[in-house]
Amino acid sequence: MRARPISPEQRARLRRAAAGAPRRPWTFWVLAILFGAYVLALYGPMLCIYVLSLQDIRGGLVFPMKGLSLHWFVDLFTQVRTGDVKGGFQRSISLALLVTVLTVVGSFLAGLAFRQRFKGDGVVFYLMIGSLVAPGLVLGIGIGLLFQYLGLPPSWYTSALGAHLSWTLPFGVLVMFAVMSRFDRSWEEAARDLGATRWQSIWLVVVPILAPGLLAVALFGFTLSYDEFARTLQTSGSLNTLPLEIWSMTLNVTSPSLYALGTVTTIASFLIIGMCLGGIALIQRRRARHNPSV
Amino acid sequence: MTVGKGHIELAGIYKRFGEVTAVDGVNLHIPDGAYCCFLGPSGCGKTTILRMIAGHEDPTGGEILIGGEDVVGLPPVARRTAMMFQSYALFPHLSVRENVAFPLRVRGQGQAERFRAADEMLEKVRLSELAHRLPGHLSGGQQQRVALARAAITQPRVLLLDEPLSALDEQLRIQMRTELRRMQRELGITFVHVTHTQMEAIALADLVVVMEKGKIKQAGDAREIYSRPHDRYVAEFLGGQNVLSGKATGAQGGNVTVGLQGAAGLCVTLEPGRRVALGEPVDLAVRRDDIILRRPEAGAVPEGWSALNTRIKAIEYQGLFVKVMLDAVGEGEFVAYVAERDFFSDPMQMGDIVVASWVAERSLLLA
Amino acid sequence: MAARANTLAWFYISPLVLVLVPFFVLPILVVVIASFMESDGFGGMIPHLTLANYAAVFGAELTLRLYASTMKFALLTWIFTLGIGFWIAYFLVFHVRNQLLAIGLFLLCTIPFWTSNIIRMISWIPLLGKNGLVNSSLMGVGLIHQPLEFLLFSDFAVVVAYVHQLTIFMIVPIFNAMARIDKRTIEAALDAGASRYEIMRYIVVPLSKNGIALGSIFVLSIVMGDFFVVKVMSGGGSASIVSALFEDIAVLQYPSAAAAAVVLLLAVVVMISLILRTVDVRKEIAR
Repeated sequence: MRARPISPEQRARLRRAAAGAPRRPWTFWVLAILFGAYVLALYGPMLCIYVLSLQDIRGGLVFPMKGLSLHWFVDLFTQVRTGDVKGGFQRSISLALLVTVLTVVGSFLAGLAFRQRFKGDGVVFYLMIGSLVAPGLVLGIGIGLLFQYLGLPPSWYTSALGAHLSWTLPFGVLVMFAVMSRFDRSWEEAARDLGATRWQSIWLVVVPILAPGLLAVALFGFTLSYDEFARTLQTSGSLNTLPLEIWSMTLNVTSPSLYALGTVTTIASFLIIGMCLGGIALIQRRRARHNPSV
Repeated sequence: MTVGKGHIELAGIYKRFGEVTAVDGVNLHIPDGAYCCFLGPSGCGKTTILRMIAGHEDPTGGEILIGGEDVVGLPPVARRTAMMFQSYALFPHLSVRENVAFPLRVRGQGQAERFRAADEMLEKVRLSELAHRLPGHLSGGQQQRVALARAAITQPRVLLLDEPLSALDEQLRIQMRTELRRMQRELGITFVHVTHTQMEAIALADLVVVMEKGKIKQAGDAREIYSRPHDRYVAEFLGGQNVLSGKATGAQGGNVTVGLQGAAGLCVTLEPGRRVALGEPVDLAVRRDDIILRRPEAGAVPEGWSALNTRIKAIEYQGLFVKVMLDAVGEGEFVAYVAERDFFSDPMQMGDIVVASWVAERSLLLA
Repeated sequence: MAARANTLAWFYISPLVLVLVPFFVLPILVVVIASFMESDGFGGMIPHLTLANYAAVFGAELTLRLYASTMKFALLTWIFTLGIGFWIAYFLVFHVRNQLLAIGLFLLCTIPFWTSNIIRMISWIPLLGKNGLVNSSLMGVGLIHQPLEFLLFSDFAVVVAYVHQLTIFMIVPIFNAMARIDKRTIEAALDAGASRYEIMRYIVVPLSKNGIALGSIFVLSIVMGDFFVVKVMSGGGSASIVSALFEDIAVLQYPSAAAAAVVLLLAVVVMISLILRTVDVRKEIAR
């Protein structure tokens, strides 16, 4: 390195860096407070309803807490007026899992395709963006009318599935773009060079290396579908998904059982996502343990 | 005619990427079991040639023969070549042993069998104790040896190396250079190695191929390329030569006199078959270590020597020798490498007027 | 070779196309066709070409009000989500020095995304309601004597809910873009004597432009297509383009809803293509 005169300012900075505890600029503290406020606003209201859902029969929609019981959870699953929460829940989970699998496969393959230019790539890309930004209800109406016109009965596993995919797939492909940009093409070339067939190189090299990115796509797919409302409204047929159930509840239920539902669905989605992440961690640990040379 | 299994012939291959011609009509024989280096600046088409031999690119035209059979259009496996990538392209999710065993795995070999083969190979590159590590935890040199082992495990007939040493630091590079040559002898297969470092090429190769702009400028063994460069480009790229430009001013027997601006005629031997017209611009090359510096007061140079009056511009001590930069004649550098002992027996200073002289027979007329 | 590469690419892209054609292209076509039909008043359509639906959309004063109100929501939401999202991403990328901590904090922001939007919306009731936490604490400290009515079931509440739900759509792409900025360029700028403001203006903002564009596309398209936040959070007091459309559907007026939908689609397309003109999203994402 060439020697260069060092200004007193730089020297001070270097000394601070060497001391290991550089002074933070005032903007750090301002932004830290903003971040804290944001997180508080993100979690605060939700924590409120989790707490309020634990009231007893006297409970209302606002603080202060009245008693402590599981009354509203029982109410949620026994009262007729709250609708078919259990069925909606099952359908939503099944639909979300189905959407997740299809989204991961479809986005992965599309990600492979979009790595190079091909005839018509621009058309597909802009169709995809279109599908992403189209108002959900409009698309739902279109799909509903299309099914009606074709004489097909709409249901959660046909029309609603397609409606969800038209939203989760473009999202997944965008995530794949970001993931793929960090993938070194020479890995794939090396695999081919070493004698792997196209499928072997995808299965043994590309997929394992991209696994974390694919997991991100899966999480996106699951949450987007599990929570999807506007596109489902006109496409789910006679049986409701969970968000539709919740929607109808918000219109006619004004008791803390609404909050109880919020608590239950939150726990459920955390459980599912936790199980996915846990399963992957387990697989990785087992893989590491089964590493034959250890 | 029968040829060895690792004999490579490139017959008029060229490659275009859209408007750009990357490789422009290359013809070359690489003998079986040779260590061949493609040498040139980046963008000269050397890597493209390598990738076409490997089967990662198809030539726009021409033939590539390996062991006498045309391989154009065949996938990499069918060519029985193996490539070592510049970044090594080790699979980050597989251990060293699994990486090395990968080619056998995709050929359907059982785990026990392929791991045994991988372990043998790892022993050859002296990495046995790291077999269970992931590539991310290896040093650059170790990664390179894993890549080498992985490429060699299928016993390819040709091993292709794309800038294999460029990611290493200076010391390691020299060490791995020796290692590569040892592996090549041990495996007894053809190595084709692409590099932009001339020292690497001449230290390693049986056959050095110097390229410029998609064309071969000169191909030959290392000593020939270095000491008898064909033209100005090769001479300057390989280094170690001074190139002086002048005009042919006279001829005498097999010799030509070259006139330089502001200097007496320099005598140079004509190669047989070479003709030069009077007044034609010519380039003359003199090895830097052939130049002897004398003080003007030491008297005239002996018979059969050429001499130029010049001035010392700068002096750089290099350890083994002293690099003396002289006032250029025309364009380009004019440098003398003086053995350390000779220089310091009568040290010269910057700005001194000196006579640079050399045995006329040792200078070369360039194309 | 090129032909083979094309075939392979189309093979890879086919699942996406097989979803987009029947579930995006055809439905939109159906909506466009429906917008030119006459309603029989009972949920059916008479295949008789007419422009009456469009005439109704453009003739109604209501349309203008709906667009004005939706644009107001879109603009406010965009300003707040961008303002908050940009600085949070900046904080995480440039101020949090421990990378693991930064990723942890980033995940902390994304976790609520895993729960239902509707539930997250309802969760403002105990806070912003007439007897909610905000009002009762403000009255408790004596700042106000009457509960603030505008907190819930108002335009204010709508914007709060939008910002609450959509800021994450800004944070993720901007975070992604900023994380790719080579820290050495900033050090180089510091060495060159740039002030912190200049670094912001000439390095950070231009290099996060793609993230900002992508986030804006998400936020604006979601707000413009929403009916549900407006309906719940305004307590029926405000309407948006889509909520009006939803009312039409509820009374089975498909053709007029379709005409309104086509106009909205065009509006969204124009808006998104204006954003797309500023950056080549595909190239930037795939970089």
